[in-house]
Amino acid sequence: MMLRALSSDWLKIRGKGIWFLAALGPLGLVAMQGLNFGLRYDYLMKQYAADPWGGLLQNILSFVPIALFLGCTLICSLMANVEHQLSSWKQLLALPISRTAVYSAKFTLAVIILLVSCLLLSAGTAGLGLVLQLERSEMPIADVLRIGVAPFIASLPLLALQLWLSLTTKNQGLPVAIGLTVSVLSVFSYKLHDAIPLKWPLLAYTGPGALQVIAGGAILGACIVGLGLIHFNRRDVD
Amino acid sequence: MSAFVIQTKNLTKTYKKQAAVKNVNLEIQKGDIYGFLGPNGAGKTTTIRMLLGLIQPTRGSIELFGKELKKNKMDILRRTGSLVEYPSYYGHLSAVENLEAIRRITGGPVARIAEVLDIVQLTKDAKRAVKGYSLGMKQRLGIAAALLNNPELLILDEPTNGLDPSGIQEIRELIKNMPRQFGITVLVSSHLLSEVEQMAEKVGIIREGELVFQGRMEELVSKASSGFRLAVSEPEEAMGRVLDMGLDGRIKGQLLELGPLTDAQIAKLVRHLVEQQHDIYRVEEKRKSLEDIFMQMVGEGSAS
Repeated sequence: MMLRALSSDWLKIRGKGIWFLAALGPLGLVAMQGLNFGLRYDYLMKQYAADPWGGLLQNILSFVPIALFLGCTLICSLMANVEHQLSSWKQLLALPISRTAVYSAKFTLAVIILLVSCLLLSAGTAGLGLVLQLERSEMPIADVLRIGVAPFIASLPLLALQLWLSLTTKNQGLPVAIGLTVSVLSVFSYKLHDAIPLKWPLLAYTGPGALQVIAGGAILGACIVGLGLIHFNRRDVD
Repeated sequence: MSAFVIQTKNLTKTYKKQAAVKNVNLEIQKGDIYGFLGPNGAGKTTTIRMLLGLIQPTRGSIELFGKELKKNKMDILRRTGSLVEYPSYYGHLSAVENLEAIRRITGGPVARIAEVLDIVQLTKDAKRAVKGYSLGMKQRLGIAAALLNNPELLILDEPTNGLDPSGIQEIRELIKNMPRQFGITVLVSSHLLSEVEQMAEKVGIIREGELVFQGRMEELVSKASSGFRLAVSEPEEAMGRVLDMGLDGRIKGQLLELGPLTDAQIAKLVRHLVEQQHDIYRVEEKRKSLEDIFMQMVGEGSAS
């Protein structure tokens, strides 16, 4: 059932600019660092002489949380808007499909889109490193993959929250405002206590306790999806 | 299994202590075209949303196909097609893609998409983005979507709302053919009696959340009639003959004004006048508007 809804959603987001946005985010991040390293190549290479790949990853990482949070917010809102725009909920939910299937399909699709985004970031980072003539043999492949995937899993709670808000409020102003606020705050997240989920995307890569943070993100994300699902199932559809 | 396709018992929906729908007992039989009438805001859409499981009733039970909606929702929805208020569609997709998005959920053969597009005569425009469609075409697409899964029951909420006369005509013909061609039971709501009158055999009238009338269309039409007007030659003489027949009436200008009559009575009267060499120019039925009937029914309700 869920797969049917997913296949339907796959068709519906066509031509909505969602995939474009998913590609723009990571490529923009990479381009920004390309500019940073391009302009100050000699200075930065000297600074990171001991571990140039590590330096590149560190620079990318500082913008990963804000990009992820923005991505979660916008993707959820755009996806929800496909249904909100012409009140398609009443048609969709009068079809022989459970609301659980509809909701989980939307969540799954959001995860797939953002995962593609994150893998693009990993690929883009590797590509940028090579363009900057960092040593190919020294490329820390595990770290390059980790920078895409680990912060993403740690931001699942926010994705779940944004999806819930976006799907259940017709006016997207509220969820987008909340998402933007969180994104901006994430710039200062390194100052926060480790227990606050805003900091998790950062911690999931740098540690301490990276694995626990990733597990925590997955668990808290699942809990929020569960709560959203209960609410969505009981809701009256106008 | 009961004989009704739709049966509700004491169906009630309360919003913040205000009842939008109060103790509604709908009874719709297989093969009926059931007209669900009421002014805007009377509770038609709320009732229909409850029938489709979109909103939860505060009280009362709903049975479709003789099964309780709550427990058999998937099975019931599989046999039901619906169009709730204005049509829902994805504007950036074409008609075929819109229907494909639904078909992917309901299953069923791809060929059915072409079939339903043909039924609503959209085959020619099937590949265009729906946002460029006229309102009538969007409405027809909505009906196509409702028909996609070969439903046994079609629930259409205000399907002709906002359409021009030719669009209304098209949709009406489409609906009229449903029971005949496909054996589908149809529930169609409207705020205009004249619209439903031409297709429905049974009607339910809802006013301020309460069902004030449910019965055959003829019963309602006889209530709507408040008398006849006859234009005849020699009206004074003709009036005398009317009174001789034991019917009530009076002369107004050149016209005879008579009270409500049955079909048999009016036939007998006309025949009698013709036999007496009167020319009959016109026989008009004076009819009350839907709103008048509502008022009358509500008046009756509070008197008893």
